[in-house]
Amino acid sequence: MWADLGGMHAWAIASVAVVSAGCALVGTLLVVRRMSLLGDAISHAVLPGIVLAVLAGGRPGGPLVVGGAVAAALVTVFLVRALGSEGRLSEDAGTGVVFTTLFAFGVVLVTAAAARIDLDPSCVLYGILELVPFDTVGVLGWEVPRAFLTGTVVLAVVSVGLAVTWKEQVFTAFDAEAARAAGLPVAGVTIGLLAATALVTVASFEAVGAILVIAMLVVPAATAELLVRRLGPLLAVAVALGVTAAGLGYLAAWRFNASASGMIAVVLGIQYALAALAAPDDGVLARAASHAALAWRVCCEDALALLWRADESGSGGPRTAATWPAWLALTWLAARGRVMRDGGRWELTAIGRMQAETIVRSHRLWESWLGRHAELPLDHLHPPAEWIEHHLGADLRRRIESEVGGRESDPHGRSIPPER
Amino acid sequence: MPSGISTPTLAHTVEWHDVTVAYGRRPVLWNIELSVSAPGIFGIIGPNGAGKSTLLKAALGLVPLAGGSVRLFGRPLAAVRDRIGYVPQRETVDWDFPVSVMDVVLMGTYARLGWFRRPGPEEHESARAALERVGLADLADRQIGRLSGGQQQRVFLARALAQAADLYFLDEPMAGVDVRSQERIFRVLDELRRDGRLVIVVHHDLRTAAEWFDGVALVDMRLVAAGPTEAVLTPENLRRTYAGRLDVLDEIGAAVERGGRTP
Amino acid sequence: MSGLAYNTLVVAAAVASVGFAAGVVGSFGVLRRRALVGDAASHATLAGVVSAFLVTGRRDLPTLLAGAFVAALAGLGILVAIRRFTRTRDDAATAIVLGVSFGLGIVLLSGLSARGVAGAGGLEHFLMGHTAALTAGDAVTLAGVSAAVVLVVWLFLKEATLVSFDPAFAAASGWPVPLLDYALVALVAVMVVVGLPAAGAVLVTALVVIPPVAARQWTERVAPMLLLAGAIGLVAALGGVAASAAVPRLPTGPTIVLTAAALFAVSFFFAPERGWFARRRIDRDVALRLGSGTLGPDEDRADVG
Repeated sequence: MWADLGGMHAWAIASVAVVSAGCALVGTLLVVRRMSLLGDAISHAVLPGIVLAVLAGGRPGGPLVVGGAVAAALVTVFLVRALGSEGRLSEDAGTGVVFTTLFAFGVVLVTAAAARIDLDPSCVLYGILELVPFDTVGVLGWEVPRAFLTGTVVLAVVSVGLAVTWKEQVFTAFDAEAARAAGLPVAGVTIGLLAATALVTVASFEAVGAILVIAMLVVPAATAELLVRRLGPLLAVAVALGVTAAGLGYLAAWRFNASASGMIAVVLGIQYALAALAAPDDGVLARAASHAALAWRVCCEDALALLWRADESGSGGPRTAATWPAWLALTWLAARGRVMRDGGRWELTAIGRMQAETIVRSHRLWESWLGRHAELPLDHLHPPAEWIEHHLGADLRRRIESEVGGRESDPHGRSIPPER
Repeated sequence: MPSGISTPTLAHTVEWHDVTVAYGRRPVLWNIELSVSAPGIFGIIGPNGAGKSTLLKAALGLVPLAGGSVRLFGRPLAAVRDRIGYVPQRETVDWDFPVSVMDVVLMGTYARLGWFRRPGPEEHESARAALERVGLADLADRQIGRLSGGQQQRVFLARALAQAADLYFLDEPMAGVDVRSQERIFRVLDELRRDGRLVIVVHHDLRTAAEWFDGVALVDMRLVAAGPTEAVLTPENLRRTYAGRLDVLDEIGAAVERGGRTP
Repeated sequence: MSGLAYNTLVVAAAVASVGFAAGVVGSFGVLRRRALVGDAASHATLAGVVSAFLVTGRRDLPTLLAGAFVAALAGLGILVAIRRFTRTRDDAATAIVLGVSFGLGIVLLSGLSARGVAGAGGLEHFLMGHTAALTAGDAVTLAGVSAAVVLVVWLFLKEATLVSFDPAFAAASGWPVPLLDYALVALVAVMVVVGLPAAGAVLVTALVVIPPVAARQWTERVAPMLLLAGAIGLVAALGGVAASAAVPRLPTGPTIVLTAAALFAVSFFFAPERGWFARRRIDRDVALRLGSGTLGPDEDRADVG
């Protein structure tokens, strides 16, 4: 398979990778500003703009076509806003009306004018990446696929635009209201973003067609969001994901003899699913592990506190564990030197005693605090303390202690163990 | 009469037993213990974000309880839903929705009708009577977006009246309402009280609270104090409720959310 | 009547009923400001159609639509899962489901045609809609499902209206709001699937969005809005099919959408009270009356309009 990889494949991959990078950059800003569906609308609505430009004599990828696409994008946004303010349409309804209408118009134009222009309707939908390497232009004596050239130029323009407006982008992305209040040209930044969306859509057209642009815009950014938080890393990760998906998708499509653009979208989806599962803090697996870890810690701490209270009341430790989680906890604690078996009973070791006292101290301090600050009858103080005793740290314990007047016993009259 | 101490032998109209509510893992209401009995107008007062609405929603089963329980008329909510009336906050609704005043008030009769049945003459009569009581009878056919704030609030109140309940929960009914409408709304609540019903109101204005409520509960994530109005609205209690958020609760809430200990 | 004319008539009737039902069902999505949920469902249907063909080897409409429905529900299910288990926001989640599921559909479709599998050619029509290939039997299926959907909406009209208008009040009154929610979304999924032969996966959302939005301009009550949305959907469907019949090269999806859009434009400008011209007139009248002092102290714009 590797031996087969000729220059044609390399150019195709390079073209779609470059286009994908541009989409990832623009898409990150769209996602962060909650404009994903507007991005979807624009990627559909540029179609009539492109077709009209081609009918007027523009070359695919040339300035007239790019201008037509940008104009269509601005018309889209204007219409959605106008429908909202004049027709009282909610944004989702307005978007739905505008993009379907414009896209339908575009398809009718393409079909009706199919004889006169060189746009294949299915190209419109999902691109013809496989044919891209064969449509070349001369650049500095080299033969370069036109789609690659367009993609590179658009990527350069978008990157430069992003770099030049970096501060404004960061501010507007995370808090448009505050940015406006601070005097930043939010409207200008937004229009720039929408124009950029139109640009990358045009660049993506031949590679992946109109419908799948939305995947390249939104999915890498959404995946990146699950992994990092700040804008700079977000952009970098999104671009990396997009380019990787472009390459892997193309190779998979070649291997399985299927549409490259569709395969790229599928790979992007797999990336997202993996991130959703395995992301370090937020992933499904990570959260499940964190839940389990907490439950285990609570179980062990409850066992320690139980033994301590048994000592305090003089009844001595239990002979056997009452439940299997308790047995598991005691076995584990024994292995870690916190408890031991002494004369047929479970007992605390010195270290175990210190740890148990911390928990009981937390419990009784919380009962004191609650008793002071909330209208709760005496018999209602124990359950909340059972819960919170696992979450109080040393610093907060000291503060609570000083606040409740440094008393030495809880509302039930039991003494509060001192801090160690 | 409202009290802050549970008396297990006598069933109060509403009882919150050790109610804790969390959004995600983070607690927003801590161990609320409160009982209120009919008849009366009872206020729930506190700063913004204190969990007052949440306390109401806990009683109505609109938010899951992380701990504790609620009893209405001594029984669980599901058994007595037909005796409860609810006036939610105005912002929860899209006022551009294509329904008329009468349509909305009729919705108060839907639970009685059950599945499939449409409102009949009896329900229309009920709705009309409710509209009379709040003074909106001549606006019955108007689309609800074309009403003033006070009128919109009265529509919600009429809908609750059409529920023909014994216990009413109102969430910030006076917010953004002109003084005249506020007086009108209070007069209806007063009528309900005189008819032996209990009305529980989440409220934000201390001055009118002192004037209108028989009893109040001061809430700031936990119950600060509850009881007869004059006894509870003391400077000391108000200071404890309003003087800045309790850092302790915030810090512990964050720790619980993380699953760890506070620093 | 010749067989062909009979067929055309039956298919036209079926498409009309689909347009009607889509308009009715879509009204609730529009009223609840969740107009684009159908979009996620519709883009997933392509993968469902092709999978149904792959799995069963059959190409009859009920089989393909069943696959489409399963895929639509799966897409919606994934949307719910994303909301529940990740930080990803709603609009991005919709776009993800939309884009990836459509990509999957394209992969399957292209894989089929690359291998020259017999019978795969017709599946392309599910992209943009193509009613000419429908049989009378297909038409009966579509019309039957549409009629059933409309019946369900009529039966549960008060419950659907209540849950759409004030879910908190509905829940407090004891109604099973999550269940009703899912039911409404499922109805949209059904109509999106039923609309596939006529409008295609890419544009079928327009059938559930544009007619209700147009109807809203004309009325302030729910039942009239549903009826009008249905009527507009019906006319749009018929108009689109007629246009495509006149120009055979044109797929039906875009022509239906453009017909619906034209009706929307008329509604937007010319509806009494909410229409653009009407509101200019009312604004002028209010300004005049304010200026001449004939607007009473208790009257406001609402009373005039």
